[in-house]
Amino acid sequence: MADRDIQMNVNGLALKVNSGPGRTLLSALREDLGLIGAKDGCSQGDCGACVVLLDGQAVNSCMVLAPQAQGRDILTVEGLAENGVLHPLQRAFGETWAFQCGFCTPGMLMSCYALLSSNDEPSREEILTAISGNFCRCTGYQAVVKAVQQAAAEIRASSSGDGEQGRAPA
Amino acid sequence: MSESNVVGQWVPATGAGDIVTGAARYCPDIDLPGLLTGKLLYSPHARARIRKLDVSAARQIPGVFAVLTQADIPGENNYLYSQADQPLLAIDEVRFQGDAVAAVAALDEATADAALRAIQVEYEVLDGIFDPLVAMKAGADQLVEGEDNIIMNQVYRTGEVEAALASADVIVENTYRTQWAEHAFLETEGGVALVDEEGVVTVYSSCQAPHRDRMQIARTLAMPESMVRVITPYIGGAFGGKDEAHVQMHAALLAVAAGRPVRLIRGRRESILTHVKRHPIIIHCITAATREGRLLAVKARAIADAGPYHNATHEVMNKFGEFIGGPYSVQNLEVETIAVRTNNPIGGAFRGFGAPQAAFVYESQMDDLARKLEIDPLELRLLNGVETGTKMYTGVVVREGQAMKASLRKAAEKIGWEKRDQCERQPAPHLRRGWGMATILKGSGMGRGLGDHAGVVLEMHRDGSVVLLSGAADMGQGIITILAQMAADRLGVPMSSVRAVRADTSRTPDAGSSCASRQCMVSGNAVLAAANSIRDSLLSVAAGKTKISRDRLDLRDGRLQVDSEPHALTIEELARRALFWGYPLHAESKYHFEYPADVPAGDYRFSQEVFQFCTQIAQVLVDVETGQVTVERLIAVHDAGKMINPGGVYGQIEGGCAQGIGYALTEELIVNEGRTLNPSLENYVIPMALDIPEMEMDVLEIPEPVGAPLGAKGIAESPIIPTAPAIRNAILDAIGKPLYQLPMSAERVLTALDG
Ligand code: FES
Ligand code: FES
Repeated sequence: MADRDIQMNVNGLALKVNSGPGRTLLSALREDLGLIGAKDGCSQGDCGACVVLLDGQAVNSCMVLAPQAQGRDILTVEGLAENGVLHPLQRAFGETWAFQCGFCTPGMLMSCYALLSSNDEPSREEILTAISGNFCRCTGYQAVVKAVQQAAAEIRASSSGDGEQGRAPA
Repeated sequence: MSESNVVGQWVPATGAGDIVTGAARYCPDIDLPGLLTGKLLYSPHARARIRKLDVSAARQIPGVFAVLTQADIPGENNYLYSQADQPLLAIDEVRFQGDAVAAVAALDEATADAALRAIQVEYEVLDGIFDPLVAMKAGADQLVEGEDNIIMNQVYRTGEVEAALASADVIVENTYRTQWAEHAFLETEGGVALVDEEGVVTVYSSCQAPHRDRMQIARTLAMPESMVRVITPYIGGAFGGKDEAHVQMHAALLAVAAGRPVRLIRGRRESILTHVKRHPIIIHCITAATREGRLLAVKARAIADAGPYHNATHEVMNKFGEFIGGPYSVQNLEVETIAVRTNNPIGGAFRGFGAPQAAFVYESQMDDLARKLEIDPLELRLLNGVETGTKMYTGVVVREGQAMKASLRKAAEKIGWEKRDQCERQPAPHLRRGWGMATILKGSGMGRGLGDHAGVVLEMHRDGSVVLLSGAADMGQGIITILAQMAADRLGVPMSSVRAVRADTSRTPDAGSSCASRQCMVSGNAVLAAANSIRDSLLSVAAGKTKISRDRLDLRDGRLQVDSEPHALTIEELARRALFWGYPLHAESKYHFEYPADVPAGDYRFSQEVFQFCTQIAQVLVDVETGQVTVERLIAVHDAGKMINPGGVYGQIEGGCAQGIGYALTEELIVNEGRTLNPSLENYVIPMALDIPEMEMDVLEIPEPVGAPLGAKGIAESPIIPTAPAIRNAILDAIGKPLYQLPMSAERVLTALDG
């Protein structure tokens, strides 16, 4: 089948990938664009290691065909930091040991980022629901909850004007 | 000296910045010019003779650069974890579903797949050996012709077991069964190999033992070890499952054959079908006690399904036998450990090496005993628990054992053990609530008679920055972070000044495998020795310059301290002066963990001598209509000795508890006639975020007196060990029925309710 160009907006840049219809978004990101943050943990939608945001929605990029991303906005873990400044979630993940091996982290961060975009004070239950498709074999998810709550508090503080380091989600 | 501002602190893991930005490179992320895709062809049968293997058509496909069979391996065609009995590529017979018969390297995945399809293999399917109880009988069909299927049969006896059993007031006797369990590290096994410009075969390896990988790769390539280099990139988890080598071996063979770099990454299904599993074991156990609840004797017989190859079976079953008496003072003990070859998955190392299976048995026995005697389970455990100075049934004297009882008491206090009956036991007509505890011990280190050493190189530069070279693989457990903390602490520099290099055999000295909770202790000691020698140089310079006696000086916060007050001299200045005057700021050290030279006759062989103690208590809710078990609360009180990094310690605990909940309730590889029926993360059910209760963790910091750097003694294995028996005992408390088989699925709970 003939390959065709797909145009998508990745981390704020208009980029083209070359893709046949069987190509997944995950492989286009990793192989064509060198965005290796999103991981392949199962290739079939079971683990969430490949989560990226598609028009703001967290999706398993191994289950999205590249052509489905035509003309849409993609945010990957590489796009979270701005001008070298880590997003509060990224910092909190490091500070609270919300990962050990880190293989689940890019996907986990994107699921949490999507959550914070619509909810700046998530409960434990809401966080666990947001990451319910993100498999982590190293932690017990507890440190992730702590990280998200810490980041949420920081973002709230900065958007209410009394903090300066935080950057609110788009 | 004031409290350290590095050791004992929640310092983020080394590499955290790369992990949260997606920059961290794991094997699948490594790309090189001309990189080929490697793939393996596996046996579709659990047992078959290879009649014909023809790869000529595959070799003709454009874009295929190498196709290898056993005939193409230049050196030894086997792995060497313990015995060299598992071929890298099958010779004339396949003995389980994970045996590979050919390896290919091609331009891309599609071409590699086409090459696999073009390989012609003719098999003569043989009757498999699947039941260890049948396979161990005299005259049984032999898996390896001329060799007994029983590959281990070891009896350890101490005291007068039969006499103790005869004199006992009460006996508890049961048969337990455990399952195959899967590591499910999120990054599957992988390796990337190339031949560099000096002809050195360089292999990026997702592994636990880079120096042992180097040895294995060299012997299979028939090359000197000096021409092989193993580098660990970021590693996405291991838990024992990457202790033995895997496809990095084939990647190296293919790269040499193809003359181009090769990346070989297992897919998830392939990973589950091929790598080792936690051994399923059938255990018959008798526990005898006095009317008052004093343990008199334990007698156990364990039969493990080893699969077709030795792998870590001896190591696992040795630990099973070492811990089958639990953290109790038992004078009379007999344990028979048997392992049998079958055509099922291979049994191997998995967090705890046999100790989780042993704990499921001894802690279930304790609760059955408590019920029989009508003694509170907490009391029974306190009555029999070891203490500092107790001589265990293995012959080892516990050097520091306060945590055994302290963790029990603390966990009981946290859950409100005494007041549990005030809670509602039947919150709805179909629900039953119950509480159960388990307390365990697990050794840190390799054990007596098994070399346990680690080297490290440390160098401080003239600006005070430090490079730490350790060959200890960091699979996420955080070893290089805590080694860097120890170095920073001794040298008085901030963490940001220490660059810890990930294991690379051409740069970092051998530290042995990252297994058996040993690296914190063994590599930690090596780091302290190296750091102390550099510290010595700095303090000599400082004493010379300030004319203040050495005992008043310290290094901290990047400065010299005099009587604990900061002095004008910085570490940077001291380093500059030291190098100017020729003091060494480069230190190499090798630490060897001291075990007694002569293990007393009659002691358990290979015993560990430093113990992690812990207690977990579970509160469960059982739905008696569906059999569904919900863990409502899980208390975990652990002793790691001194915590170097609480973030890492609590991380190990919560991760171990989560794995323990899976092991207890849902995780089970379903194997039928040697074929795994659920090789996916969808069907091998591991608890996800919503399935895990809030874990209430506590850490007792009781410094270990001997052999433990700064009092730290490791924590990695113990958290998974008590979870399953704690949940089992909670179910027993809830429904009044004991379970003897893992996992305690809804179906098994219903069966127990009917019984
Ligand atoms: S790789 Fe996409 S869900 Fe596992
Ligand atoms: S940190 Fe290893 S899988 Fe989540």
